[in-house]
Amino acid sequence: MTEQRARILVVDDEPQIRRFLRLGLEGHGYDVLEAGSAEAATRQAVGGQPDLVVLDLGLPDREGFEVLKELREWSRVPVFVLSVRSREGEKVRAFELGADDYVVKPFGMAELLARIKAALRRNVAAESGEPLFDVGGLQVDLSRRLVRVDDVEVRLSPKQYRLLQILVSNAGKVVTHRQLLTGIWGSAHPDDVQYLRVFVRKLRRRIEADPARPRYLMTELGVGYRLRTPEQLAAAT
Amino acid sequence: MRAAPYLVSAAAVAVVGLAGHALTRAMPLPHVSILFIAAVVTSAAFWGFGPALFAALLSVACESYFFYAPIFSFRVADPQHIADLAAFILVAAFTSRLAASMRARTLEAQRRQESMAALLVFSEKLALAESDAELHAVILEHLEPVFGRPLSLLAPGDAAAAAPQGRRIEVLAGPHGPVGVLSAPPAGPAADPDYARALLDRAALALDRARLRREVAEARVKAEGEALRDALINSVSHDLQTPLAAILGSATTLESFGAQGNAARQRDLVATIREESERLASYIDNVLELTRIRAGRIAPRLELVELADIVDAALRRKGKALGSHAVRVELPAELPMLRLDLFLMEHALANVLDNAAKYAPASSVLTVGARVEGGEVVLDITDQGPGIAAADLPRVFDPFYRGAGPGERPASGTGLGLSICRAFVQANGGSVEALSAGPGRGTTLRIRLAVPEGAALEEGVEADD
Repeated sequence: MTEQRARILVVDDEPQIRRFLRLGLEGHGYDVLEAGSAEAATRQAVGGQPDLVVLDLGLPDREGFEVLKELREWSRVPVFVLSVRSREGEKVRAFELGADDYVVKPFGMAELLARIKAALRRNVAAESGEPLFDVGGLQVDLSRRLVRVDDVEVRLSPKQYRLLQILVSNAGKVVTHRQLLTGIWGSAHPDDVQYLRVFVRKLRRRIEADPARPRYLMTELGVGYRLRTPEQLAAAT
Repeated sequence: MRAAPYLVSAAAVAVVGLAGHALTRAMPLPHVSILFIAAVVTSAAFWGFGPALFAALLSVACESYFFYAPIFSFRVADPQHIADLAAFILVAAFTSRLAASMRARTLEAQRRQESMAALLVFSEKLALAESDAELHAVILEHLEPVFGRPLSLLAPGDAAAAAPQGRRIEVLAGPHGPVGVLSAPPAGPAADPDYARALLDRAALALDRARLRREVAEARVKAEGEALRDALINSVSHDLQTPLAAILGSATTLESFGAQGNAARQRDLVATIREESERLASYIDNVLELTRIRAGRIAPRLELVELADIVDAALRRKGKALGSHAVRVELPAELPMLRLDLFLMEHALANVLDNAAKYAPASSVLTVGARVEGGEVVLDITDQGPGIAAADLPRVFDPFYRGAGPGERPASGTGLGLSICRAFVQANGGSVEALSAGPGRGTTLRIRLAVPEGAALEEGVEADD
């Protein structure tokens, strides 16, 4: 991303939501494409080549989920799902279909902007394949399988490392329980969320100063876990 | 007809006969029949009229055969003896009649007393029955022995459909119309129709009372619903319109400024719009939750979870509201996992935090602590706010109850937070109580959650690690 402005596709059937998103996003240096229906969304996604999609789940012609599913068949563009209320079932489904973030209406523009920025940067970082991850006092060197907390090397069991590795390669993104479980145990325990909770508890004890109030490895209630990026950590403290 | 009373009556006559024989040898007794009256009366008193009559006839035979000349023959020669026997028969008939009716009355009184006692027990059980099902069980339990066959008790409405052909039907009528129908396979009448009737009447009354009670309860729920709706409308009209007015006012003021205008003032107005919108959003959330609770649509999805995750999520969500408060989290590292609905519990906790943030002074300490106590995890959220007077403690969970905020005015908010909290904690099988040492001494919201049996999962995973 040199001087080129990132392009964001806003899909929502409510004109007033599109309007304020356009105003807010354009004001912060993004180009904005709009779509008011699933059909228009697909057309714009193909024709406009957006760098990020903000997708409302309640569309007049088809479910937002279907748009997401279709999009994921050919594109890895970051997708932010918008929903009116935090419904955990929808949230999990959105992440499993490949959404990058989930934003509940009503939301503040500042929060959305911070998340968009993080997602765009993450996308660039992921493509560069940077092996060194660094947030706060936590450093993970994927190439050398090294984990340091406040400059002290930390020993992890193979499965704890695998868990951390998955989170690092998706840093900033919510990784669902199922994605983590299959990533660690293969297809053996896709639904044993309690196993995962126990592992997260142990991993936190190694990498967090206060496991009860984690700073890096965050729980997304009912959905999964997320490793904070430096930007997310800074925004939270 | 049972034989025993007759045999015993015969024995009594024999005993009197022997006694009479002994007596007549000692002294001359012209009228032995007087002795036999004793046997007749005894028979009448103990076994009723039949055996008494039998005893009387036997006595006449005995007297004429053994006592009145010619002896050892049933003939009686002396006319005086004939008159004596005739008088005896009359007296015997009369006294046995009398004794028998006395006996019948005693028996009747005894039986009535027993029925009364049974009825009393029945009435007590009817009064103690807590549900309709229990009531039906009590009724059938007492009526079946009386009717001597299995019965079923149906609601008056479905009796026609549910009673198969040939079943006897007894309609239980209460003071306000039929309350039930008793259906039984055909058989003879009840052993004791009066007692059966009394039981049936009481059963009908109890069923009628139960129906009334049900109607009263339904009416109360409805009235409560209406009171709640009124309170909601009040809340909506005041608490929701206040922030809305602020938002609209600020926005139109901004509009009127146009391009020129004091930058600081503009920032203030924008900040007002944001803050009031956030307030509005949280009100709406609470009102929606309340309607969900009232509609009985909270179905917790229980799973084994970490309390720390929930506490952390609630603290993160309420980070802004908690602003200047110093939050201290004191959760032991080895808390057992709990079986909870993550979202309901997080919401409950967030409401408690919200409340603490609202009442406790800025930069005071808010402590979230937990410990295991007798099979439960006890979660305490303690603030250094104004505290609550003992009399108000139970009321803090009532919908729309609002304590005095800083400076005697009721605090802002819908007064729904803690009532939603309680509903959600209860949906998770927990309990919540408010504790305060009194005004000025802070408040502790104490949530108790049972430790589930399968919480010791950790060991199992250890081997796999």
